[in-house]
Amino acid sequence: MTRFALRVWPAAALAALALAAAACLDESALSVYVLLALTASVTVGITLLMGHAGQVSLGHGAFYAAGAYAAGLLAKNGFPSWIALLAAPIAAAGIAAAVGIPLLSLRGHHLAFATLALHLIFLSLVSELSLTGGDVGLQAIPPLSFAGVTLTSVRSYAYLSASALVVLVLLAQNLLASRPGRGLRALSSSEVAAASSGIAVAQYKLAVFALSAGFAGLAGGIYAFYMGYLAPGSFPVMLSIEYIVMATVGGLGRVSGAVTGSALVFLLVHGLSRIATLSGMPGTAPIILSYAVYAVLLIIAVLFLPGGLVAIIPVHRANPRARSVRGVHPAQAASNDSANDTVTPNHGSYS
Amino acid sequence: MSAFLSYLVHGISVGCGFALIASGIIIVYRVTRVVNLAQGMFSVVAGFAASSLLGLGLPHGLAELVAIATAAAVGLATGCVATAKPGTSPQASLIATLGVGVFAYAVEILTWGDQPRSFSGLSGAYEFLGTDVPKQYLLVTLVTLVVFGALEVFFERTYAGKVLSACASNPYAARLQGIRVVRMGLYGFALGGALGGVAGVLLTPVQPVSYDSDVSLFVNGFAAAILAGLKRPVLGLLGGVVLGIAESMVAGYAKASYQSSLALLLTLAILVTQAARREALHAVEE
Repeated sequence: MTRFALRVWPAAALAALALAAAACLDESALSVYVLLALTASVTVGITLLMGHAGQVSLGHGAFYAAGAYAAGLLAKNGFPSWIALLAAPIAAAGIAAAVGIPLLSLRGHHLAFATLALHLIFLSLVSELSLTGGDVGLQAIPPLSFAGVTLTSVRSYAYLSASALVVLVLLAQNLLASRPGRGLRALSSSEVAAASSGIAVAQYKLAVFALSAGFAGLAGGIYAFYMGYLAPGSFPVMLSIEYIVMATVGGLGRVSGAVTGSALVFLLVHGLSRIATLSGMPGTAPIILSYAVYAVLLIIAVLFLPGGLVAIIPVHRANPRARSVRGVHPAQAASNDSANDTVTPNHGSYS
Repeated sequence: MSAFLSYLVHGISVGCGFALIASGIIIVYRVTRVVNLAQGMFSVVAGFAASSLLGLGLPHGLAELVAIATAAAVGLATGCVATAKPGTSPQASLIATLGVGVFAYAVEILTWGDQPRSFSGLSGAYEFLGTDVPKQYLLVTLVTLVVFGALEVFFERTYAGKVLSACASNPYAARLQGIRVVRMGLYGFALGGALGGVAGVLLTPVQPVSYDSDVSLFVNGFAAAILAGLKRPVLGLLGGVVLGIAESMVAGYAKASYQSSLALLLTLAILVTQAARREALHAVEE
């Protein structure tokens, strides 16, 4: 029961904060808020994949897009919109599972390239097919409605995306605390050791890949209904890179890090681009600033903050679960006090 | 027939550009075990720099050389960021090169704007078997052959080249011989930058570059490098030309937008079969 409480408290705090913010913010802040919550949802999936299965994915923007297109297409073709929304994560996870079977035999930079390739192929497919509307994309996607309630205001989408984020965080944290989660953590320190302890490495990796794609798909589905239109241009390769920046800055492998990292990076980039548009700067100033911020944060995080931001914020908590992991990860020794939902980032086990 | 020939000629010259980028990727990978995601950016920087320098009135030749030197310096800087900090793992370095590539976007847009740029190369064409062969295409091919010849001599005949090869084949043994492996890695990055720069100044007159062209340049270069097995830089020439011709044929006979997807699918297929073979090897060894 105490363990359960430990796992639920952070998520409950997040839920309270997220829903309170959705209730208090004004319209223009809410539109940033929705995108932030959706981005954080994808990043939670990325941190599971990168931090625990040790796989770099440069293609999660494609799964986000896949979810968005699946929801948009179904809703436009007469399916009830809530079914379309439910289909979004399933479609994304299904695609990930199908392509993951051959691709996940690749490691390190090969997988990074393969997922980047996946994103590029997806973009070229979407802009070629007449089904997806080509370069123009899908227009006039109906708003989401369920049991007679139609979501039209920005605030309703803020509630929806915040709830989705909370559900995904809860799912991710409980997954990591469960038996498969311990298997995943073993896998992140040594695949060989994990395999010899009877962990089905390949299946676990595939499952996490599909799950993280499902997270992205759900966020993409909400995005489709929120925006009302989709085009290939909304899902550039940079999108996939942004998720990596956020997960790395927050601290790979930590669910709390994914949320903190995406909030900080997203708000910083948006704050700066607002400044850039204010003071008579050239038209390219916002884009220059956002690229520079993403790049500098990514480089600093990957070189100097191996545990991410979350690791440098000391949190003292007696957590027997975390202690049992300590001996296994010498790299983490310096930042052990912060280990609550945790595991070492997997920088080391590249092969 | 003449259509076939013109696709072939175009494919060979574009493939030479891919080959130069591939050789840069291979050299950096062999010496540092890092796949440099910023490799395509070197070509973009060189292309932009050359177009600016020509605009300032520098003569052809000098402008291109300065642009290539700039790309080499950018390569060195990339290497410093990605690998100079002791204890950086190759995977961390890979992500750091990604960061450098994104940072370059900011600098490129700040310096050169967000519109595609180009400059005129050699004009005119030779007629060959009823097909026009643009002189710029010939120039690309010739320069690439010369560069690869020079690379071969460098790696086989010079002390510096052999030191780099030593680092590539066994970094640990190289370090025991007193070779500074990290520094050699930086030289590798500078060389990779210069090779990317050569590709950039040669290809920019053929197809204009914009700041985000680096993705497709990298993808094609990496595909060529994979075709070459990431082994010897010279094999990259073969990989690049094969890929260039294949893409040019697809673009000519099928549809232009399929060509990059073809390169990607081909590369994925090779990677997956290689991985499967490696697993089988491991199974036998164990």
